[in-house]
Amino acid sequence: MSRRIREELAKGHRPRNGNGQKPQPGYYPGFSTLAQQKYWDPKTRKVILDRVHNVPPIRFFTPAEAELMQAICDHVLPQDDRDEAHKIPILPRIDERLYEDRHDGYRFADMPPDPEAYRSGLRAIGVIANHLYGRNFTALTPHEQDLIMKSLHDGKPAAADEIWGHLPIHRFWMMLVQDCVEAYYAHPWAWDEIGFGGPAYPRGYMRLENGSPEPWEVNERRYKWEAPDTSVSDIYEPARSPIEHPSHPRSGGAK
Amino acid sequence: MRLAIRPERNNSASKPHRLGSMQRLTSPMRHFAPGEEVDYVIVGVGAGGGVLLQRLARAGFRVIGFDAGPFWDTEQDWVSDEAGSHQLYWNDPRLTGGTQPLALGSNNSGKGVGGSTVHWAAFTPRFHPSDFRVYSESGVAADWPFSYEELKPYYELMELELPVSGPAYFPWGHPHGYAFGPHPIGGISDILIRGCTRLGIRSVAGGPVGILQGSRESRPHCIYRGFCIQGCKVGAKASTLITHVPDAIANGAEIRSNSMVARINLGRDRRVTGITYFDQDGRERMQKAKAVVLACYSIETPRLLLNSACPGFEHGLANSSDTVGRYLMSQAGNVVMGYFDDLVRMYKAPPANAMSEEFYETDLRRDFVRGFAIQTVGPLPIAFAKQMMSAKGAWGWGMRRVMMDYNHWGTLGLLGEILPHADNRVQLAEEKDELGIPVAHVTFNLHDNDKKLIEFGKNKVMEVMWAAGATEVAQEARYAHLVGAARMGKDPATSVADRYGRTHDIANLFICDGSVMPTQGSANPGLTIQALAARTGDYLIAQGDRIFNNVKPDMERPQVRHDLSPPATWGHGAPRLK
Repeated sequence: MSRRIREELAKGHRPRNGNGQKPQPGYYPGFSTLAQQKYWDPKTRKVILDRVHNVPPIRFFTPAEAELMQAICDHVLPQDDRDEAHKIPILPRIDERLYEDRHDGYRFADMPPDPEAYRSGLRAIGVIANHLYGRNFTALTPHEQDLIMKSLHDGKPAAADEIWGHLPIHRFWMMLVQDCVEAYYAHPWAWDEIGFGGPAYPRGYMRLENGSPEPWEVNERRYKWEAPDTSVSDIYEPARSPIEHPSHPRSGGAK
Repeated sequence: MRLAIRPERNNSASKPHRLGSMQRLTSPMRHFAPGEEVDYVIVGVGAGGGVLLQRLARAGFRVIGFDAGPFWDTEQDWVSDEAGSHQLYWNDPRLTGGTQPLALGSNNSGKGVGGSTVHWAAFTPRFHPSDFRVYSESGVAADWPFSYEELKPYYELMELELPVSGPAYFPWGHPHGYAFGPHPIGGISDILIRGCTRLGIRSVAGGPVGILQGSRESRPHCIYRGFCIQGCKVGAKASTLITHVPDAIANGAEIRSNSMVARINLGRDRRVTGITYFDQDGRERMQKAKAVVLACYSIETPRLLLNSACPGFEHGLANSSDTVGRYLMSQAGNVVMGYFDDLVRMYKAPPANAMSEEFYETDLRRDFVRGFAIQTVGPLPIAFAKQMMSAKGAWGWGMRRVMMDYNHWGTLGLLGEILPHADNRVQLAEEKDELGIPVAHVTFNLHDNDKKLIEFGKNKVMEVMWAAGATEVAQEARYAHLVGAARMGKDPATSVADRYGRTHDIANLFICDGSVMPTQGSANPGLTIQALAARTGDYLIAQGDRIFNNVKPDMERPQVRHDLSPPATWGHGAPRLK
């Protein structure tokens, strides 16, 4: 890591290789779904505004777990290109789900319940950090942290086998990524970033073909951007979906 | 008598209960007195239960429909938002395992009046005549205990009652046309049509889909907002909540929502006497009925039968064949994503819009039997991000990057027939839910024919995507829909129910949902479930009191009753090829 990057990091900024922090990254400059809220139905408006304005407190994770989880979320769904005022809360949404014990209506037979899975997974990540670098995960450089995350993605953790023995690593990884994208892409700022129209009742859409924008949507203006050179996540290596991994129940199996 | 409003909304007595943006549930709902025996209890008010409830009520039977979830007020309860629609799904705990553990919840299970029809995409193709004769024609799986011809009039009824919008000529299976015109097409349909056309594959567009393309009675036309599977606030997409339940209530049916049925009660003479349920306050209650119909779909129907084990039925009620819970099916639903240099904006227009059934039938030149369909899919951002997680292994900056290109991607779906296997099943786990009922443990494994079919099918869909002009193509495995797990058949030793859904073991216990299907074809099952329910309704109505008395069942085929449709549905629409 260069001294420039280290200095930037010390100041709380991570360089974006020519792209600084913005209130709204993405190829749709000026597009705002929230600006359209008067065209939404009252119930939807209430739910979305609540999502934007009321960020729940941390109630499930301990302070130490929350600090570690925040560092993890910063890599699973990095937001270094967003200015501080426009970072989308991810950790509080995951915490809220676990605190309320909300889940998707099924659990893989070889997985512990989600709250237990998160606590174990965090412990395992801590073990890996100490095994590889002799420091806690939160004390590692962004590059080191990214490498550990990539080892989870690859299903090749450097340590904590005793934990992964009860927590299939690919399922833990997918749950983590799913939870992060659920929080991020549920947020209107993320819709603005990707050019998604957002809520559309009762107005609806009328330009259905050729990718045409509605009169209130914005056309795409692409620019070249690069991930920070400390990151190893800007690559694609197809993973098998969770349903392609055979389940081998260790407990709680069928009668 | 009081208005049919959700009981917890005491302050909403002045507000009408909205079913879609225009329709209101205005008729006061009947409430049967505690302890009062009714003619029928229907467990589950979804695709099958909703239609059957309406038929029985219209014919004058005293009937209660139980549903474990709420009686939705669409304007107050639903949102035009992906993350905010979580409550529509069956989110109670279930275990999933096997070599290909199925995703459940939002993928295939609804909870609340309307069931999964609330969040289906509403693709409504019919099954093909060959689907009823898979064993006879292909030497695998099983035949249905009746033919396509017997179900055909009920397809025609349901296509008018939902109604189904679609092309004037649908060339596959038994060719037919739709009385309600097709929808305009969106970006994904363009891709499907373009790719198929370049490869010489026939396709149809604008349906068949259970969504109104023009306003009709108290239901408005589609506004093309693309939130079909988040619940249609517009009321353009058919769900039994808005198509059949209002008419059921107007004809004296009661809906008991937020009421989870835990057991079916067996009396003397191997006949059921009613059910035990937990009411909205979690109190255990009983409801007596002369006959019970299960319509809880392919996981909860077998779960309820298995949990109702009792002396004489130690391995589950109506399970003398050891078939309850077995032969569970899901269709191969691989999602194929293509990147296009031009914008697509796939979030607009209903995801269910164009399709091809060119590969539906067994082709002896291939190394597998049966086939598949190709259909449009239009995931919203969260669903698409999850697909990219597996299809491209995206995370971190890679996820951010691919999602910034969301509007450049289009997706098509495989819908492939997976054969019924005894080891694909629903069992009871040790683990219990918060009411103390053992949770379902679902096991799903692929077999040789299934694997070959999926390999061929997904490659064909990818070929279509390339032919459409995609510059990058990715895909992820997925399984769509659930059927089977309490199948019907002629032989009581190898099936749970007879041709009308009556359990072989118990003469006044019926099943009326997708779980009775012996095979699944590669058509979305929703229309067929509703057609089966209308047919079961005609049978029960024709039998009358014979169902309630301990007499030998009469298996005579009932007359098709066109007079039991909800008002202004049968006979409307432009006549088309039949």
